[in-house]
Amino acid sequence: MSADPTRQAGDTNAAQQRFLSLFLRSEREIFRYVAALVPNITDAEDIVQQTAVALWEKFDAYDPNQPFTPWACRFALNKARQWIERRQRWQALLEHGLAEELAQRRQELQPEFEQRLKHLDGCIGKLPEGQRSLVEGYYYERASIETLARRSGRTEAATYKILQRIRHALQVCVERQASTETV
Amino acid sequence: MKLSCPSTEFDEVIAAVCHGTATETEMRALNELLRSNPAARDSYLFQVELHSRLASNPDLFCDFQNVSESRAADRENVIALPPVRAKGKGRLMQTLAAAACLALVAGGIALFKWSQPGNASTNTPVAMLTRTVDARWGSKTHPPRVGSALEKGTFQLQSGLAQIVFYSGARLAMEGPVELRLVSENEAVCVSGRVLAEVPAPARGFRLRTGQLSVVDLGTSFGVNASHSQTEVHVFKGKVELLPGKTGEQSLAEGQAALIQGSDLPQLMAASPEAFSSMFEFQELSLASEALRYDQWRLSSAQLNRDPSLVLRFDFDNLDDSDWTLANKAARTGLAEDGVIVGCQRAEGRWREKTALEFQSVNDRVRLVVPNEFRALTLSVWVCLKGLDRDFNSLFMSDGFDAGTVHWLIRRDGVLGLTLFGPRFGKFQIVASPPVPSLENLGVWQHLAVVIDGRAHEVVHYVNGLPVGRHTLKLDPPFRVGSAELGNWNARSGPDPEPSLIRNLSGSLDEFELFSRALTDAEIRDLYLKGKPEL
Repeated sequence: MSADPTRQAGDTNAAQQRFLSLFLRSEREIFRYVAALVPNITDAEDIVQQTAVALWEKFDAYDPNQPFTPWACRFALNKARQWIERRQRWQALLEHGLAEELAQRRQELQPEFEQRLKHLDGCIGKLPEGQRSLVEGYYYERASIETLARRSGRTEAATYKILQRIRHALQVCVERQASTETV
Repeated sequence: MKLSCPSTEFDEVIAAVCHGTATETEMRALNELLRSNPAARDSYLFQVELHSRLASNPDLFCDFQNVSESRAADRENVIALPPVRAKGKGRLMQTLAAAACLALVAGGIALFKWSQPGNASTNTPVAMLTRTVDARWGSKTHPPRVGSALEKGTFQLQSGLAQIVFYSGARLAMEGPVELRLVSENEAVCVSGRVLAEVPAPARGFRLRTGQLSVVDLGTSFGVNASHSQTEVHVFKGKVELLPGKTGEQSLAEGQAALIQGSDLPQLMAASPEAFSSMFEFQELSLASEALRYDQWRLSSAQLNRDPSLVLRFDFDNLDDSDWTLANKAARTGLAEDGVIVGCQRAEGRWREKTALEFQSVNDRVRLVVPNEFRALTLSVWVCLKGLDRDFNSLFMSDGFDAGTVHWLIRRDGVLGLTLFGPRFGKFQIVASPPVPSLENLGVWQHLAVVIDGRAHEVVHYVNGLPVGRHTLKLDPPFRVGSAELGNWNARSGPDPEPSLIRNLSGSLDEFELFSRALTDAEIRDLYLKGKPEL
């Protein structure tokens, strides 16, 4: 222990706070970056958590003049790679360089995605109440498919199907909104 | 298996990937398609992006909508109880916390891991290390920092002095060598060594065990000197109860001491403060440093009162039982009147000399009125929670559901919630922070703030000086407060309100501010630093 432990703790706290405030602002963006490779929500969240730890360990090396998100995404890509290496199924999806290709292409498509997805809010508002509450249950509340199926009296398979249909409807809706905007 | 695009199978496989149910064969087929077909790849990326957007943007679901007044209450209710924590789901929202915990472990710093290694997500902090003098820790104990949370588990202090405060409020001073095991927020085992316990009223029932017995506190100050073969208990103030294994109960009064060896009957003697003098001195030093901190706070309070944007400020200082008003300390007069205390107990604030108001019963509240309309608002409060007993625990809530007003509360799951009501009847926006793990640390003073910025269209929640959630403000100013309550809510629902309309706080407040502008991150941080209990 150093001669002045409180001082040292103070410095660490300050660094921690800087880190957390940067990380918080980028967290969603890092999550989406990871989810482009590993779309399953809980898996992607695991990878984001591991990324957070790695970022904090290397936070000394972070140059505050550089934007935080791209720096963080490089770590996220590494963590995602390590995670995939240990999982055969995901390897099958992302092998032969597809992971890097997806990450790269996603960057290129960002402006276009943004254009469409800014209508997502409005499109969710247009969903019939039952569908809205199902999406909300799955994505916001993070209820399990089992719970959602029980709530609505459907089978789990049917619940998966409906979620897929709703996403499709949202996709059509945001695309239509975006296209009328450019006309 | 071979996939083509566009096709139903293609969409189905993407959905299965998103839900985590795709088989290896499906994933392999998708890989081949995506590598060979750029249109399929772009379509895949967009579908996944939509999915990840839905998963990472809670704002999409906290939307304002046209609903009736009672629906507004229902909605606060519906959103209130997502099982986010129950199954370890919704972890993205908690990554902040996890990042903090994991990071500390990974970096080998502040989080007190005691001797057992393990998964950071199973941490159960029960106390805090508040002060040390020349502390040397045992080789198996990860050196903790002052101000860090202490988890359940065993630790050894080889030499020097240390003070810890349990979340129940009990304070333990100890002098090495001592081996202590933290069991819960109101129980510890002194395996060996000397400790001095000081137990304020809320922690009554605090239990200290040794190899020979349990000492149950009945509102006191007492010392314990334990070894593997015997235990001495000295009572300096109040009364304790001894629960030895075979000899039955025995209580010890002030000035008494007892020596317990094996299964013999306790030998009574006079309490000896001399044996604990170093710890008494240490406690006095702690008190002196608290007094200093309190003085510093009073100084910065005087400056804060002169802020021209300060509409309302309660410092809850120097309250006594007969006070029924709470003075508005803002120097600019005429913006808001004094508050009125209804019920509430007078309690200890952040420092022992400072008073606070404790809210406990459904009647306890501070009523106030703030006229005028605002383009921006900042609310700031120091709170010490006793529990999150209700689905909604009010911090500061305007009466009813009037247009332009605000509801600020803590949900049972540790989420800070702000509901704003739009200018038109039935329009509102609920802004929910991610769950704030520190809100589960009961019995610890914490600073909470929310900034409603009508110009930048942003709502930001802060905990202990740090932003924990930023959201787009979808309603236009002006906002107002009108008649409102601290620590409770007048739902204007009539004599027999439904449970969801009962929102009284369980805990104490000892400072509150309302500003008519959006404070910056730095200013909120400053409010926190000037008011935090320890330096």
